[in-house]
Amino acid sequence: MLIAPDIAPAGTRAILAAAARAAAAIPPAFPLDATVAVNPFVGQAGEDLATAAARLARVGGVRPFLARAERRRQIAAGEIGEADLAEALAASPHPGKPADLAALRAALAADPAPAAALPTVAELLAQHTGTDWPALVARTFGLWAAGHFDRGQALWTPAPGLGAYAAWRAFATHDLTPEIFGLAGFCAHVAAAPDTPERAILRASERLGLSERAAETAFHRLLCDLGGWAQHARYLGWQAELAGNRDETLVELLAIRLVFEEALLAQGGEAVAAQWARVAAAHVAPVAPSADDILDAILQEAAERAFQRALASRLEAAAAARTGVPAAPPAPWMAAVFCIDVRSEPFRRALEGLDPGIETRGFAGFFGLPLAHREPGSTLADAHLPVLLTPGLSSRPALDAPTESRLFIAARARRAWGRFRQAAVSSFAFVEAAGVAYAGKLIAGSLGRRATAAPAPAPRPTVPLSADAKAETAAAVLGAMSWHGGWPPLVLLLGHGASVTNNPHESAYHCGACGGHTGEASARLLAALLNDPETRAGLAARGLAIPEGTLFVGGLHDTTTDRVTLFAEDSGAPERTDLARARDLLAEAGALARAERAPRLPGASAATLARRARDWAEVRPEWGLAGCAAFVAAPREATAGLALDGRAFLHCYDWSRDTGFGTLELILTAPVVVASWISLQYYGSSVAPDLFGSGNKLLHNVVGGIGVLEGNGGRLRAGLPWQAVHDGERLVHPPLRLSVLVEAPRDAILGVLARHPEVATLFDQGWLHLFALEGGRVAARYRPGGAWEAAGDAGLRTREGRTAAAA
Amino acid sequence: MSVPLLPLAALPPLLAALAFVAAPGRRPGRLPALAEGAVLAALFLALAGAVQVALGGPQPAGSGLLAGDRIAAILASLVAFIGWVVVRYTRRYLDGEAREGRFHGLLLAAVGTVLATVQAGSLALLVAGLAVTGLLVERLLRFYPERAEAVRAARKFRLAWRTSDALLLGVAGLFWVAFGTLDLAALREAAAGGLPPVAQAGVMLAALSALLRTAAFPVHGWLTEVMEAPTPVSALLHAGIINSGGVVLILLAPLVQASPAAMATLVLVGGFSALFGASVMLTQSAVKTALAWSTVAQMGFMLMQCGLGLWALALLHIVAHSLYKAHAFLASGGAVIEVRDRRRPGPVATPGPMAVTRAFAIALAVYAAAATASGLVLGPKSAQALAIGAILVFGIAYLVAQGLADAAPGALTRRTIAASVAATLAYFAFHALAESVAGPALPAPPVPSPLEWALLAVALLSFGAVAVAQALFPLWAHHPAAAGLRVHLANGLYVNALLDRLTGGLGTRTAA
Repeated sequence: MLIAPDIAPAGTRAILAAAARAAAAIPPAFPLDATVAVNPFVGQAGEDLATAAARLARVGGVRPFLARAERRRQIAAGEIGEADLAEALAASPHPGKPADLAALRAALAADPAPAAALPTVAELLAQHTGTDWPALVARTFGLWAAGHFDRGQALWTPAPGLGAYAAWRAFATHDLTPEIFGLAGFCAHVAAAPDTPERAILRASERLGLSERAAETAFHRLLCDLGGWAQHARYLGWQAELAGNRDETLVELLAIRLVFEEALLAQGGEAVAAQWARVAAAHVAPVAPSADDILDAILQEAAERAFQRALASRLEAAAAARTGVPAAPPAPWMAAVFCIDVRSEPFRRALEGLDPGIETRGFAGFFGLPLAHREPGSTLADAHLPVLLTPGLSSRPALDAPTESRLFIAARARRAWGRFRQAAVSSFAFVEAAGVAYAGKLIAGSLGRRATAAPAPAPRPTVPLSADAKAETAAAVLGAMSWHGGWPPLVLLLGHGASVTNNPHESAYHCGACGGHTGEASARLLAALLNDPETRAGLAARGLAIPEGTLFVGGLHDTTTDRVTLFAEDSGAPERTDLARARDLLAEAGALARAERAPRLPGASAATLARRARDWAEVRPEWGLAGCAAFVAAPREATAGLALDGRAFLHCYDWSRDTGFGTLELILTAPVVVASWISLQYYGSSVAPDLFGSGNKLLHNVVGGIGVLEGNGGRLRAGLPWQAVHDGERLVHPPLRLSVLVEAPRDAILGVLARHPEVATLFDQGWLHLFALEGGRVAARYRPGGAWEAAGDAGLRTREGRTAAAA
Repeated sequence: MSVPLLPLAALPPLLAALAFVAAPGRRPGRLPALAEGAVLAALFLALAGAVQVALGGPQPAGSGLLAGDRIAAILASLVAFIGWVVVRYTRRYLDGEAREGRFHGLLLAAVGTVLATVQAGSLALLVAGLAVTGLLVERLLRFYPERAEAVRAARKFRLAWRTSDALLLGVAGLFWVAFGTLDLAALREAAAGGLPPVAQAGVMLAALSALLRTAAFPVHGWLTEVMEAPTPVSALLHAGIINSGGVVLILLAPLVQASPAAMATLVLVGGFSALFGASVMLTQSAVKTALAWSTVAQMGFMLMQCGLGLWALALLHIVAHSLYKAHAFLASGGAVIEVRDRRRPGPVATPGPMAVTRAFAIALAVYAAAATASGLVLGPKSAQALAIGAILVFGIAYLVAQGLADAAPGALTRRTIAASVAATLAYFAFHALAESVAGPALPAPPVPSPLEWALLAVALLSFGAVAVAQALFPLWAHHPAAAGLRVHLANGLYVNALLDRLTGGLGTRTAA
């Protein structure tokens, strides 16, 4: 950086600071080979939904709300009640909100004006010249970006090593396309552009007449215009920050886009300049929600309150039913630990219902192991942990050297054959020699035949752990699980993953807590660790004596087919009768879960779910986490037997054993934040699919190995595909912000929030709702700012509930 | 086996298409199952008809409108098979689309029309069938009319296709004037007596019309932007519709071969398109876009085979390419995993100049051995066939070179050489098969004239040069001197942009 911000003039500093803020407003998009859900509002977490909506309308042209007509329908149908509306109205902090319910109802009758982003220079010029300049910018920028960010898809990518801005200048000084469409002298303009992105941003801001106050949203507008490319650049910055480095790619992309704007403004002449000056002035205005934004945010809150009211009354009823059944359950013979993922809930319920001797628990699917795992035949380690964390433990498959080397040779030979297919002259020979064989592949694909891969070898730590480290790790994981005793003879640790075919978004169906991989490696590794005699001895020394006969078995829950694979052979222990019984019950539970899930999937029956996993034409193999709406951290008793329809994250937590509330702190800062990202990604992809969704799967065109384009090219598209949230007729994901219910003392919760202001902000600004549970009943609602509102006052206890509670 | 079944193959899809007229919307009940059933019936009829033809010889039908010969049997079987795969795929893929029924109807109509057209025994059916196909495909390309890019792509397709239709209409007119018939068999026989100037002009028009339909350089622009329609449309387009140019040439083979000018045009334009498309493909990072450029290249190669008089090989290329490309499009969602798996084994071993030289020598030796063996078994090969074989050598050498890189372990070297031998053998086996099945119905390559020798030399030199450059690619591709070349190639040498500019392609008004 040639201009160090701290010695630069104040105006310069302010413009560059605005650029940094605009960059921070963009959510990261993780590459599709290991993608995880990202909160698309992550850059707006410091403001509330209404304000963020006003901002996104200005910079992205979207209204991040369900359509008003759908709200009217929900109200008419009683899905949102009078009380919900009244409470949501009362809770709205905006002075411009409707004066009373009658005013709200009156305002509700009208549809809001569609959002229109403030135009770019490209859009203004297009109105004048009749040439689609925004499309041209998207096309040429997209072609460059596809090559620059390519991770091995094309054989001929640009020379590596240059930063984005320098690489683009090298490209754009040669690219004649803009000039062919009439942008005279563009190559020369690029060649003469400032040599650093910072200088380019400063010069362009000056030429565009962007004041310090206009710059932030003007820049944000341009970054939104770049779509997923900007989000991918933000991901690069995110990764660099995790590793303690910096990456300025996103600011460089802004510089590139500004160089376009400069050239287009120069082309436009007086008329465009005058219009643009008005736009620049409009960017100066502070972002403030309109009456419609405020109203829609109230309606959103009301829908969430309706959901919370229903959930609270069901918890209440369950709690009441519990008090009537004093008999203690028999000591379990098996425990199964699942990921907190909402897709585990129906399966857990089905499994528990089959046998009262089965206990199930919920914990983040990476099982607390910060794994960098290397697959067989790979030199690259994949991070199997939440993207907020950095790996601390590396593992690899347990294979002997000759086998491993055979796998490498096979992989490289496949790659050489692939290059033979792809390269210039050899592709002709390839077609004539091998093309006819594709008839067989077409038949296999059409009939859903797929070679079944042999199970992967057991993972093991790359560097053997010391006995002490083993015990330390195991104790930490068991503590985080709130598991301090009572281990039954058989414990299943079940990660999850989805088997799908030909789906670019495959990793979005895998375990988010495992960084978009399946949970298999984590589960198997933890099982091996907990079976290790050294670990057991160390645990016993720490007061965690696991019975000698207890066997831990890793497994994988396939969320498409609801089949569970157990890796019992990892332990080397002889086959046990309880294992056979476990397999039978898992199969039965799978059948029950399939029967429950199938009606929601179009064209599916319980019998055909497995086929969807192998169907190369299936765009809705399963619903992923669609529908997610609640997060419960409590002992399983609180939710046992409740049919939560696969909409709740269930985390086992027992505050009475949590000395110092370290586990509570962990839950609120890690799984809750990850769940909020998931919930808000589904929210964003449902209500603002143009900005925060990846569009129509039928048009997806995988680019660079990192993402998809929709159709020919141009913008990278991040977020969930439309088919992942919509069944063709209606949204399958009711867009609700997550309700977090925690069974813990309220002061302890407030203490954690006080220590983590970034988490508290999510609750204070309404991106998450927080409730304290007592005895499985909703006891209080968190109020922004750190107060509690008792459940009765919050309208969360029904009369029957109170009666039952009193009885 | 008295009733010829081949001509009936087009009927089930066409009839099934009618069923969707009343159900153009979302989730049209059990009709998608009916659609697949109809195409399966077509596939059965085509295959059974092919058996009839193989056993009993040609069975013309409809007073000669349908040829009922081996070529028709091969092409109809191919189209019906691809049609089944695509229609079956569509059943799940399009589920829930607002205009699902309409898509099925258009797709079935297109499959049925192409099924009839490729069996044409008369130029009249060919002209009409291709025109109707164009109308249907254009509607499929505009399946999302709200997408400006889709509308642009469909308009470009229409421009290319209608021009080609007009040219083919001209062909029919000129042949009618010259020979007084549109019957393809009669026309092919008439060619034996040499072509009058009117017919020569007709053949040139036919060649130009074929260049348009196969998206040859410089009129390839319509093909590389049609990813704006659902994937099954791309599969059908790249595995079925695009072949129509080659089919016209093959059906008119004796006439085309009687025109040295047309043959030379096909070799030059086809050969250049092959190298051009393949080079652009290397720079494309989006899977469907790269596949589209690959089609430009493969169709160019097929045109070159036509121009060299290797008609049976051209037919083989059509069949093999269709099967490969249909699969490549339909399975393109797997590209994310494919790219990941490509990165996993670590860096690619780069062959040096010595390794490349050895690789070419090894490939040449393998080829010489196989060619000699096949020459002993199947008789001597024409100069054209040997030249095409040499291009295979260049390709195989690339595979061998990767295994010979200094950093490549011995086991990898052995594997790539084994793969090379297998590819060479498969290549000869398929050539022999194509010659024995389709060869008798098609003219043998002409004895090379000086012009043809020159063309062969140019083709070998240019393909050889590109092959060497490709093998040494890592040594120069990232050199600053090559940066500009990469940019221009990534843009397809701007031909498409110029066409867009001329036709107002990026206009906001047309897009709206």
